[in-house]
Amino acid sequence: MLNRSMSGRQRKSKQSEAQLGLLLALPIALVMILLVFFPVCVTMWDSLHRVDPMRSGTPFIGLQHYWELFEDQSVRTAAFNTSAYVLFTVVLETTFGVLVALLLDYINVGRKWLLGIIILPWALPPIVNALIWLWIYNPNNGVLNNFLLSSGLIDERHIWMNDRSTALILISLVHVWRMMPLTAVIILAALQSIPKELYEAADLDGASIWRKFKNITLPLISGALAIALTQSTLFAFNLFDEAWVLSGASQDTRTVLIQVYMSAFQDMHFSYGMALSVVVMFVSLSVSLFYVLKIYRETRFD
Amino acid sequence: MSKNFGKHITVFAGVVLILIWSLMPLYWGLVSSLTPAADMVNAEFHLVPTRVTFDNYEKLLSSTSISQGNIVNSVWPMFKQASINSLITSLAATVITVLLAAFGSYAFVRLRFPFRNVLFGLIVATMAIPAYTVMIPLYRFLAGLGLIDTYVGVTLVYVSSFLPLALWLMRSVYESMPLSLEEAAWMDGASRMYTLVRIVLPLAAPGLIATAILTFLNAWGQFMIPLTFSPTLNTKPLTVLITEFVSRNYMDYGLMNAAGMLAIIPPLLVVVFLNRYLVSGLMAGSAK
Repeated sequence: MLNRSMSGRQRKSKQSEAQLGLLLALPIALVMILLVFFPVCVTMWDSLHRVDPMRSGTPFIGLQHYWELFEDQSVRTAAFNTSAYVLFTVVLETTFGVLVALLLDYINVGRKWLLGIIILPWALPPIVNALIWLWIYNPNNGVLNNFLLSSGLIDERHIWMNDRSTALILISLVHVWRMMPLTAVIILAALQSIPKELYEAADLDGASIWRKFKNITLPLISGALAIALTQSTLFAFNLFDEAWVLSGASQDTRTVLIQVYMSAFQDMHFSYGMALSVVVMFVSLSVSLFYVLKIYRETRFD
Repeated sequence: MSKNFGKHITVFAGVVLILIWSLMPLYWGLVSSLTPAADMVNAEFHLVPTRVTFDNYEKLLSSTSISQGNIVNSVWPMFKQASINSLITSLAATVITVLLAAFGSYAFVRLRFPFRNVLFGLIVATMAIPAYTVMIPLYRFLAGLGLIDTYVGVTLVYVSSFLPLALWLMRSVYESMPLSLEEAAWMDGASRMYTLVRIVLPLAAPGLIATAILTFLNAWGQFMIPLTFSPTLNTKPLTVLITEFVSRNYMDYGLMNAAGMLAIIPPLLVVVFLNRYLVSGLMAGSAK
């Protein structure tokens, strides 16, 4: 567009562009460096030392904390619980999220209102959600026991959080209640971008609903599905509020993040908790990276 | 005809199930907040409460209330302070985050400057970092500056944790805007800044609103951050105060649920009145 004689001016405008860009990005860079990048580096550095308010000195201990983590029975239990949460919530959120999105995509009347109601649990403070469910699950006079008793499905009151697998499932349900709307919205966005002609053509060929879903819908929402899976995996991996409110520090339901909190802030083993949080960070990052690379590859071959 | 009918029944059943699943827990929260303390121990199942009381709301919202026949001080001063704290920190975090993202994201999309892509990549990657990874050093850093339990400190932490999502959302907004409008303004001799403020930002308004909504909802619902950085009522938000009703002597479920019902009013208003922007924001956030 610009000819050679303007290259001097062009260079100058490029320079001013870079200056303006740096100026606008500077406050963001500052906030992120001071409040995120710098603390992350300190955490990684400290995790290689023994930082413990109860003991003097902060000697360098290398990877000792990391080796201890593998041996630590509480950490193993927490890792198992978190894996269970990830499995339950991702499967439930994805299955029901896709079903809800298909339903929303299908109906034409009142979609806006239904969508608003579906999003509601996601928009509320997670702590309030968890407290409502705490009351529902209450062993003495919670709604769940009352309902199941009066409808004759159970004979006696259950203390739901006493049984480990029940507790894991019930806590997962609370998380699913909050996070499933996000999956539904992400999938709905993808569904609405599918040209309707594709289905009309398939109808002419007499394709069944299942075949249409498998051969048209599924391939065209695979990108959105990957994004939905990423976010539901990450949120489940970082589960804290629901498990904390519903059964506190109980070993049976403790997540890795609760374990970090317990090690660092309750047992006051600062750098040990930090080492665990670094492991959590790297697992989170690799999960995201895995999905991002997968999406990137898929969109490139399109 | 009958096939269509079956389809309608399935869709109708699906809608009813979704409504029950989404609203039933909230309904129970509301019911228990209105149930008299004596009825809370009632183990019978009632879909509709037999007696309704506003005792719990009175405890939260009036200066004195009656507990077991005695006039006692209510939790209103605490509840009021926590509500103010929640509002101030959430609104401040929203305004600052949106301002930074509005200008910063534009720079990341439209302007070429050194380290642009590296910086953007690093910032977006922090979305995957759990808050506890930064908590201890961040606490020490802010304590050194005397910012623990101050509005400035809590707001700064909120901004640093919600900025990546805001940048991500605004990037997709700017990327979907045609460059031709800006080019036309430059041709007329308008400066970059003038073009950004007078032409680009007004056009990006829906995206800015969506970003503001998501940031506000995130800040309003935050629990882990204020649990650490807001130890006293100076800055303690509703989310943290509500959980303290749990540990006081016994679990006052009615009071807790009443407080919860009041705490969900702002998000509820957002979903009712700004649903359009909220949905578009969620959809934009998921696009690539």
